[in-house]
Amino acid sequence: METKQTYNDKIVKAFLLATIGWAFVALLLGVIIAYQMAYWQANFDLEWLTFGRLRPLHTNAAIFAFAGNIVFAGIYHSTQRLLKARLFSDVLSKVHFWGWQLMILLAAVTLPLGFSTGKEYAELEWPLDILIAVVWVVFAINFFGTIAIRRVKHLYVAIWFYIATVLTVAILHIVNSIALPVSLLKSYPVYAGIQDALVQWWYGHNAVAFFLTTPFLGLMYYYLPKSVGRPIYSYRLSIIHFWALVFIYIWAGPHHLLYTALPNWLQTLGMVFSLMLWAPSWGGMINGLLTLRGAWDKLRTSPIVKFYVAALTFYGMTTFEGPLLSIKSVSALGHYTDWIVAHVHAGTLGWNGFMAFGVIYYLVPKIWKTKLYSDKLATLHFWTGIFGILIYYISMWAAGITQGLMWRAVDGNGQLVYPDFVETVTKIVPLYQVRAFAGLIYLIGFLFLVYNIYKTIKSAPSDQPEEVFSAPVIKNKKGIEFIPKSHRHFEGLATSFTILVLISVLVGSIIEIMPVLSLDSYVSEGKKVKTFTPLELAGRDIYIKEGCYVCHSQMIRKLATDVQRFGPASTIEESMYNRPFQWGSKRTGPDLARIGKKYPDAWHYKHMINPRSVVQQSLMPNYPWLADKKTDLYILRKKLSVMKNLGVPYTKEEVANADILAEKQARQIAERLIISGGVNASVEDLTRKEIVALIAYLQALGQKAINPEGEL
Amino acid sequence: MSDDKKNDEVLLLDHDYDGIKEYDNPLPRWWLFTFYITIVFAPIYVYYYHFGPGLSLSEELDQNLVKIEAQENLTQEQTKKLSEADLLALINDKQVINEGRALYNKNCLACHGAFGEGLIGPNLTDNYWVHGDGSLKSVLLVISTGVIDKGMPEWGKILSPKDLQNTTVFVRSLLGTNPKNAKTHEGTLIE
Ligand code: HEC
Repeated sequence: METKQTYNDKIVKAFLLATIGWAFVALLLGVIIAYQMAYWQANFDLEWLTFGRLRPLHTNAAIFAFAGNIVFAGIYHSTQRLLKARLFSDVLSKVHFWGWQLMILLAAVTLPLGFSTGKEYAELEWPLDILIAVVWVVFAINFFGTIAIRRVKHLYVAIWFYIATVLTVAILHIVNSIALPVSLLKSYPVYAGIQDALVQWWYGHNAVAFFLTTPFLGLMYYYLPKSVGRPIYSYRLSIIHFWALVFIYIWAGPHHLLYTALPNWLQTLGMVFSLMLWAPSWGGMINGLLTLRGAWDKLRTSPIVKFYVAALTFYGMTTFEGPLLSIKSVSALGHYTDWIVAHVHAGTLGWNGFMAFGVIYYLVPKIWKTKLYSDKLATLHFWTGIFGILIYYISMWAAGITQGLMWRAVDGNGQLVYPDFVETVTKIVPLYQVRAFAGLIYLIGFLFLVYNIYKTIKSAPSDQPEEVFSAPVIKNKKGIEFIPKSHRHFEGLATSFTILVLISVLVGSIIEIMPVLSLDSYVSEGKKVKTFTPLELAGRDIYIKEGCYVCHSQMIRKLATDVQRFGPASTIEESMYNRPFQWGSKRTGPDLARIGKKYPDAWHYKHMINPRSVVQQSLMPNYPWLADKKTDLYILRKKLSVMKNLGVPYTKEEVANADILAEKQARQIAERLIISGGVNASVEDLTRKEIVALIAYLQALGQKAINPEGEL
Repeated sequence: MSDDKKNDEVLLLDHDYDGIKEYDNPLPRWWLFTFYITIVFAPIYVYYYHFGPGLSLSEELDQNLVKIEAQENLTQEQTKKLSEADLLALINDKQVINEGRALYNKNCLACHGAFGEGLIGPNLTDNYWVHGDGSLKSVLLVISTGVIDKGMPEWGKILSPKDLQNTTVFVRSLLGTNPKNAKTHEGTLIE
């Protein structure tokens, strides 16, 4: 029975246009924050424009808005064709589209306002997390529904990668976001300290794997052979590298936490599995590049093929560098530096960006039934983009390695050569300027795309009927051409295939996460620490709100030079009540794990208002509004009670009197600031200010040992 | 070339997905080899560091710190050994004072003011001392070990013995300069 049907291409068009719009926002934000690091004045002393709040918006926009929308466009377009079926439901497709755009819009409002969970790439607060989960489930139903009504028996490798994406992202997102709400836009995670660190980086690393890698490999497997008209190089290779990637990737998260307080066995697993990832990752690149055999001339003539080939090359580069950076001794040098920033941008700008551009240039003319306005302009975009990425990569690589070497440089006596942290920052500021310029170039290249696509769509015929196809119904999905034990057979059994993918990603997740869920077995009684006072907790939430963690780590690694610079290595116990953990991943400023008592309160006051009044070369933004805005002390009772429910040992009295205790401590600090710090304000006024709570928190860092003479 | 072509024909599978076909080329050997190496490496590494002679991260750190601490103690000894007379001998040395001034401006100015008049930290130009007796030697020790509870950093960890000494000499040169906006006396008067 062959009935004529049409593909739903309206939804593909919508996602494509959304991709282009959000890509512009993500790239522009990137350029802005790059300039903020080169010239601190670009923070404009406006709270919702400071680096700490815009950086999460940039990363979220790049990942979920730009990459997310192109992935949906590509999946919806290619899946229909690969399965010879119209999307399962037009309504669900629409709900998916508008739900996702709504989520991004809300993110773009809440993040600059400072509503953040403080967990990288998962900064959105709980109502938005729920929205994401719901939209994702809608997507999953639509996707698997389409598989169910397919008229092609076997699933193509692109579909395998999509299946892995849909399943794993759902698991990652839900597990990492579990939290108890305090209010509409504030929550505390159920994980603390090393748990939170482990779960967060299991999520963070696999967001890279299953949001930025597997779906893009799927796109590559469809759009590359389509564009060059050649068969895929090796079916066998695609089987092996698919299963290897899906099974191995999930274990590698702890490579973000080498030399930290994370238990050693996890660090080891993170490292060895990352090394094993190298070959499976390259499998995708090899299969893509060798597919071009016999069609290399297209590389010269077609801008689209140029984008794909460059994207695969960057993918290969990044997936070589990733395992390299996971080797403990290399991580010791690269972690917390701009080397990591270089690494991720080779991946996002090169691999994701260029794949996306290739797909856009291919798809827009195709589904708008017209021709690309200008091949020349697309080629110009390509070269501008390449130029931008290369300068970006080289400058940040140089900055990272330079700073990493300066941090660890010791003289003949074993003393640090650059004990003054800011010296190591000043040194690389010129490279920050170069990087910002590189970002600008990449953005300009993208504007060529915008213009090209605008002209293309304008030239499209006004009549846009949906593409018609027909395919016979598969009569017996189970029985035909049964070849025992072959993968081919398996490719016809969508449900079993999906279940096996699920098992593959669960194995590593469970083995790594389960043991750490009982935090107590890792905490030694004698090293336990005191909880934060209510005021310190309020200050901590300000620290999270301002996004201080994007520039400051709170994790002194088990490395001699870290210890010399910042004090004894951080312990598991020191972050045992930290929800969320704030270990950070980048040291643009110094580590703050032991900043408590290093300076007097008044120093912090001056420093927060204007860092350059105490450290001339600083590039930290000014935070003048902290001295104007009031801390909400009343909500502290609720906050403490949520913390108590999560297992933080606050007493009933502390919870009941949280606001009074906070006020009392704040008053002491305010008095000190006025008497010895020359701060011009009344005690009444100053007591309630955010800056006082923040200072209380900073002064408590590293000072929470119950028995300070002990082993800590 | 033609061999290649023939080979390709044989390897072409009957798969067809929206026009996409697939070859069944064998896995590149070098690729498979790298994969095997990384797989074999894993258990060896795990064995060496978790069941064999490899040091854990903390053990490695402790070993390195022992060496560094010995050296730090040596430097501290060096500072402690400087006598009042050694330091006094330098107070007219222009170069020492200039180097001390540069260090002061970079590290101390934020808290003690541009002219030592006192700001967050105490006035350094009067004869009142909160810690120590105002002798060069005692100033040197306060700078070197800091006063952690009051927020005076332990500069001995950051500055070399020579820098500590030069800063001390410069601070002495501020004595009795009566700058504007001087902070009120703190501590005890020592003539
Ligand atoms: C753009 C990156 C950036 C952001 C965002 C940032 N800082 Fe900094 N911070 C720095 C740099 C660079 C330094 C080193 C120079 C200095 O002391 O000002 C620094 C230094 C510090 C220091 C002194 C550390 C020491 O050991 O001397 C403290 C305390 C501090 N920052 C607190 C904060 C807090 C609290 C926030 C959030 C409200 C914050 N920072 C946000 C970059 C940043």
